[in-house]
Amino acid sequence: MSAAARTVHAPPVVESGVAHWFRSFGLMMRFDAGRAREWAAMMAIVQVFMGAGMAITYGFFYPVVTPTIALYIVTGTPTLALIPLGLVMVPIGVSQQKVERTFDFIWSLPAPRSAQAASTFVLWTALAIPGMVVAVAIAAWRYGVALTVSPSIVPAVLLSALMAISVGFGMALAISSPVVVNLITNTLIFVVLLFTPIVFPISQLPSWMATVHHLLPFYAMAQIVRAGLTTGIVTNVAWWYLVVIVWTVFGWGLTAWVVARRG
Amino acid sequence: MATTTMVGARERLRRPPWLHGYSTMTRWELTGLRLELPLIVGVEIMTGVGFVLGLGLFFHHMPAPVGLYVSTGVVVLNLTLVGLIVGPQFVADQKLAGTYDYLRALPVPVTSAAAAWYTVTLIAGLPAAVIALVVAELRYGIAFTVTPSIVPAILLTVFTGTMLGYALSHAVSNPMTTRLIAQLLVFFVMGFSPILYPASRQPEWLAALNGWLPFEHMATIVRAGLTTGIVTEGIARSYAIVAIWGVVGTVLAGRALRRRA
Repeated sequence: MSAAARTVHAPPVVESGVAHWFRSFGLMMRFDAGRAREWAAMMAIVQVFMGAGMAITYGFFYPVVTPTIALYIVTGTPTLALIPLGLVMVPIGVSQQKVERTFDFIWSLPAPRSAQAASTFVLWTALAIPGMVVAVAIAAWRYGVALTVSPSIVPAVLLSALMAISVGFGMALAISSPVVVNLITNTLIFVVLLFTPIVFPISQLPSWMATVHHLLPFYAMAQIVRAGLTTGIVTNVAWWYLVVIVWTVFGWGLTAWVVARRG
Repeated sequence: MATTTMVGARERLRRPPWLHGYSTMTRWELTGLRLELPLIVGVEIMTGVGFVLGLGLFFHHMPAPVGLYVSTGVVVLNLTLVGLIVGPQFVADQKLAGTYDYLRALPVPVTSAAAAWYTVTLIAGLPAAVIALVVAELRYGIAFTVTPSIVPAILLTVFTGTMLGYALSHAVSNPMTTRLIAQLLVFFVMGFSPILYPASRQPEWLAALNGWLPFEHMATIVRAGLTTGIVTEGIARSYAIVAIWGVVGTVLAGRALRRRA
């Protein structure tokens, strides 16, 4: 009895250090992957529908789809498949966790919150890839476009996915009301998909809008992905990488700020 | 207390029950949606104006026929959005929240409740449709030729959209299924129905399928009321197909509502 009491009252051992962080990260990955089994397939299907569906739809709007138009549409497809994932599905996932009250439970787990967030980013990035690849394959087949895939597509796609997910996650965390998050994401997706030069050249935009897109993440993401799928179309690639990286860091910063604020 | 009841009873006697039910339910729906309605109208306007302006960016210079097609097609999207897409999701919410059975138990004829909802969808969609047309005219210099046939075209398009949505709301019992179908429908109607572009750009099988569905024909009859010389043939057939789908929706919803009543 007295021995048990002593055990209960012993101060908890607070683990820390790099080894503990990585161990927590690995455990969180397993935990998150286990939960993802329920919805990962559904998510990939939605992504294929969104990406390939929009790529096909955009073609209907042109009286004649020239090879240039087709190339722009097909190389914009990865971006079309990644943006809804990061900016709609990730925030919805977080909102759902908040409504179901599993969000607080996960944060109460004895793992560093940075490891938890990192696990979310890595898992979602990995899950984003299959649906995106299928969407591009369908679009390329539909328009009969042969792509010039270069190795730079790998960092481009991974970074783009990571950026979209980081910004979506940070936003969902920073805004406490699920209803507001829902409203913002739905408005955002509509505005982004109609007014961003993802499937057409930026020269078609009014100049003020083109200037704005030099700082927003969406066109930048489309540019680095397009650079990995074509040769000679995209210039100034370093700038676009920089924009995407800055937005990724912004997403992390937002996440870190909320995590720190909640203690 | 007794006086109130007497007045209420006299009030009911004076007006036929159907009309009474209609006006009460219209007020009921508008009051129930007083918070959502401005938001819905806002989303409607954003959708309409967004498509009109956004699709212009797809071209260096928007060809005039494309502009005309898009702006007249957007009217159909505006007119069907609430009845076909938003309405079913509201009913799904009511089922999940448990207020659905209460609303069903109100002593109002089924048809007057449906007519009230039809009126609300008309109110929600029309302003955005008009605004989209004005923006198209200002932005692209498109001159619309509005003919009296626009009135039956709009009334029938909203009727069919709303009744199909009504069937989706009431004949499909599982609210999650209703929600899923509504989401897929918005995707199909906006992208894969030849509303904003001619059917000739679609693969043959898809164009053939759309020939039997109401959405392309809604665009045909609305376009015929807003332009001259673009829609020249098949207008009567389009009216017939849209009307048949409206009747199908009404019958399906009516059967479901009566069966459970």
